[in-house]
Amino acid sequence: MENRLLITSSPHIKSTRTVQGIMLDVVIALIPAAIAGVVLFGFRSLLVILASVASAVASEAVYQIAVKREVTINDFSAVITGLLLALTLPPNVPVWIPVIGSAFAIVIVKQVFGGLGANFVNPALAARAFLLAAWPLHMTQDWLNPRAYDAVTSATPLVAFNSTGQTALTFKQLFLGQRLGSLGETCILALLIGGLYLIVRDVIDYRIPLGYLGTLAIGTWVFGKPGAFFQGDGLSAMLLGGAFIGSFFMATDYVTSPVTPRGRLYMGIGAGIITLIIRLWGGYPEGVTYAILFMNLVTPLIDRYVVPRYYGYGHDEMARRKAAGGETR
Amino acid sequence: MNKSKVSLGYDFVKGFIDENPTFKLAIGMCPTLAVTTSVINGFWMGVSVVFVLAFSNVFVSALRKVIPDEIRIPVFVIFIATPVVIVELLMRAYLPAIYDILGIFVPLIVVNCLIIHRAEAFAYRQPVINSLMDGLGSGMAFTINLMVIGAIREFLGTGQIAFGSVAFPEVPLFEPAAVMLTPPGGFITLGVLMALLNIAVARVNKRKKAGSDIGYGNC
Amino acid sequence: MITIKKMFGGVAVPHKKGLSEKSPVEFAGIPGELVLFLSQHIGAPSVSTVKPKDAVKRGQVLAEPRGFVSAALHAPTSGVVKAIEPRFHPVQARMSEAIIVEPDGKHELFEQLSPAVSGLDSISAERIKALAREIGLVGLGGAAFPTAVKLAPPEDKPIDTYLLNGAECEPYITADHRLMLEEAGKVIFGFKASMKASGVKRGIICIEDNKPDAIESMKEAMSAYDGLELAVLSARYPRGGEKQLIQAVLGREVPPPPGLPFDVGVIVSNVGTAYALADAILTGLPLVERVVSVTGEGVANPSNFRALIGTPVSYLIEKAGGFTGTPGKVVMGGPMMGPAVKSLDVPVVKGTSGILVLTKEQAAQEPVLPCIRCGKCIDVCPMGLQPVWMSAYAERGLIEEAEGYRVMDCCECGACTFTCPAKRPLVQWIRMAKAEISSRRNAQRKS
Repeated sequence: MENRLLITSSPHIKSTRTVQGIMLDVVIALIPAAIAGVVLFGFRSLLVILASVASAVASEAVYQIAVKREVTINDFSAVITGLLLALTLPPNVPVWIPVIGSAFAIVIVKQVFGGLGANFVNPALAARAFLLAAWPLHMTQDWLNPRAYDAVTSATPLVAFNSTGQTALTFKQLFLGQRLGSLGETCILALLIGGLYLIVRDVIDYRIPLGYLGTLAIGTWVFGKPGAFFQGDGLSAMLLGGAFIGSFFMATDYVTSPVTPRGRLYMGIGAGIITLIIRLWGGYPEGVTYAILFMNLVTPLIDRYVVPRYYGYGHDEMARRKAAGGETR
Repeated sequence: MNKSKVSLGYDFVKGFIDENPTFKLAIGMCPTLAVTTSVINGFWMGVSVVFVLAFSNVFVSALRKVIPDEIRIPVFVIFIATPVVIVELLMRAYLPAIYDILGIFVPLIVVNCLIIHRAEAFAYRQPVINSLMDGLGSGMAFTINLMVIGAIREFLGTGQIAFGSVAFPEVPLFEPAAVMLTPPGGFITLGVLMALLNIAVARVNKRKKAGSDIGYGNC
Repeated sequence: MITIKKMFGGVAVPHKKGLSEKSPVEFAGIPGELVLFLSQHIGAPSVSTVKPKDAVKRGQVLAEPRGFVSAALHAPTSGVVKAIEPRFHPVQARMSEAIIVEPDGKHELFEQLSPAVSGLDSISAERIKALAREIGLVGLGGAAFPTAVKLAPPEDKPIDTYLLNGAECEPYITADHRLMLEEAGKVIFGFKASMKASGVKRGIICIEDNKPDAIESMKEAMSAYDGLELAVLSARYPRGGEKQLIQAVLGREVPPPPGLPFDVGVIVSNVGTAYALADAILTGLPLVERVVSVTGEGVANPSNFRALIGTPVSYLIEKAGGFTGTPGKVVMGGPMMGPAVKSLDVPVVKGTSGILVLTKEQAAQEPVLPCIRCGKCIDVCPMGLQPVWMSAYAERGLIEEAEGYRVMDCCECGACTFTCPAKRPLVQWIRMAKAEISSRRNAQRKS
């Protein structure tokens, strides 16, 4: 008798990194921001987060059962979508908003296009854009005062910043999230912890947040002050609004960002430029959502044209130059 | 002949499922998306298209043997433009409120590819009576499509479905989603309905096939 | 000594060298049957000069090379030619003509072997080149390219540097490691002989830094000669790939296929090849045996053997104490590039650097998930390619598109498949596309 030996194509060993592991890392990285949201805006935030995550996971399971596919809720990708969406919502929204938003993100944006790896825009952001178009008042007025937990319907500090180029908030207030804003976007400290965790764990590429925030800061410094150049407050531009959560957690979504390092840098820069344009000269107070969605759509184009330099490229280049030189002569 | 009778009925019915202009052929998308913010808009747009389609199909079919092949498209356009002008003038005279909403999309029926498509693909090759049936069938299917899309968008976007002064339900049951009245809402509704119809058709066909397989097995 | 830390793609693989790196090379013994394929190497198969029932002795020619790119074959031990028949070739994965030798156990040496030479000065470059061809020497790193061809670079391509490849970046395998440790003198002698044969003045010995003991012993052996340098590379797969080594050590890039190291003035030889050449010069013995690591969690006593070419895998595993539990997979060579075998009857060929036995648990297939386009495969590709697109196109049968992404440049090192978090068999699809493109090109050439 002979043992049955397995025949497969090499390599015969695989790394220990898995899709689930990566997704779990992202969930872990988002937890500080979620905790910060609950601390700053109270129990309501927790409700919004839980509703969003539960709806995302349930939608994925229901859809996959309905179309008789394998149920893949254990890969954590639905959890991330739900969590990300919740963190971009105003803390005082009615609970049905995250429920509908997450269901939309999972079913319409992700599963209908083929599930994990096949969506062409970031599900959480597409759902946020949908909610913004569907219930604009809830999405722009349901704020809570940090640590006071009372409802506020005034505009976020970003609106004033965009028109005047300055903000009354101190760096400390901005860094710790002591301002009106979506429940997960305000606390820069928590986002930084999560973002650095992902970079250290080699989950995300630092080039996207670097390109994004860098472009935004430099652009705001140049154009941010009305009537004057090179006097804008680039630092506050990064800390206000959703630029931080967007650049670290949304724009870095694998499926909808370029695959090459250089392409990722370009995506970050592109998103930064679009955010800047919308903020300074556009009709909306915040442009992060649309900037990243736009760059999601451009990603296939970037992947097509921004390719790594292949081994031996120099020889081909030399041959080309020689051929070109020969022609001119 | 018996065969032509069968096909006469089929020519009418096929527009509803097999050659559904919106969900199967995906033609005439411009008015489909633009005017379906309410049931009533969809209805009047549909009625206009039925009239134009029947008119143009009949004339194209009747004159198909004398229309030179090379210039058939300009000729089609004349046959289409004539009823469109009639519809436009009638609507302006008797339904000014609807005309205000539909506006540019009524004259634009001239370039609605559904009508050109039926003229080119069907009426130009078929007898007059078949072409009439085809025009009525396709047009009515189109009307139903617009009304269904309109109903969904109106209901989700405003919380109600209104017919003139009557609205159902009287008070919205939920907070209406404004996005459904915008073009993205139109695309989403269209996409979902298209998917559902195709799933349903695929299921029915599969069942039919399975049934016939068993039948063959038994005999 | 230069130290090279710079990385050009690649992955950090678990080296697992500890299993067998402490076990000295032992002679494996003479098995009951030797299977010697006429096609042991890249190029035309050799032509048999013996017929069944012929008595042969250790070192006697069994087959002559046919054409320029080919290699001779010799009897590894004394015995009788039992048959010449097709057997299953583990590397080519198809039936291939082989000479079957039944050993008589006496291990008698062939009388006509050329006399030994004492030093490099007493042998000419021409003689070394001829010897490399006579003894059937091929690259023992795995590709099995006839060495005689390498030693005679085309006139119009001046060679300035000779690299000795002791990187051994494949996990588990320790054959080269042990050779550098135990036979450093002979390895260096063989390397110098190769340099003399090809007329190259500069020689660099390249070793990964996870073999400090081998580095020490090689350093010591080197000191007896002039014109040799040592390059210590950080351990990272696939450091030891010929093209990768040239890039890391010399900063040169070999042109895309059909470019060869010749084109950038470099020759690369494996330490095993240098050792075999030294052996032939000093004792006259042709290439009839090689060092084979029998290792992996699936064998009881991972060992390094001096095994006769043609020894069945089952015999070597037996010698290494047999299996521990049920084996899941047996691989000829390292885990990254070696082919898995379906039967243990297959023999060691000239290019076999190791036999790796993986346990049932290690061989378990993980579920393949959809690609999430993380781009890790692009980060690790040492050739600067984009496995994500190449494999996606290949999987869908879009061969031209895959070719457009330079699928033919792929060296099949396996780094992308190793690193893929979705466990997608990228290399498998790429291989399929390459095979399809090759067969189309061949068909085109014929028509």
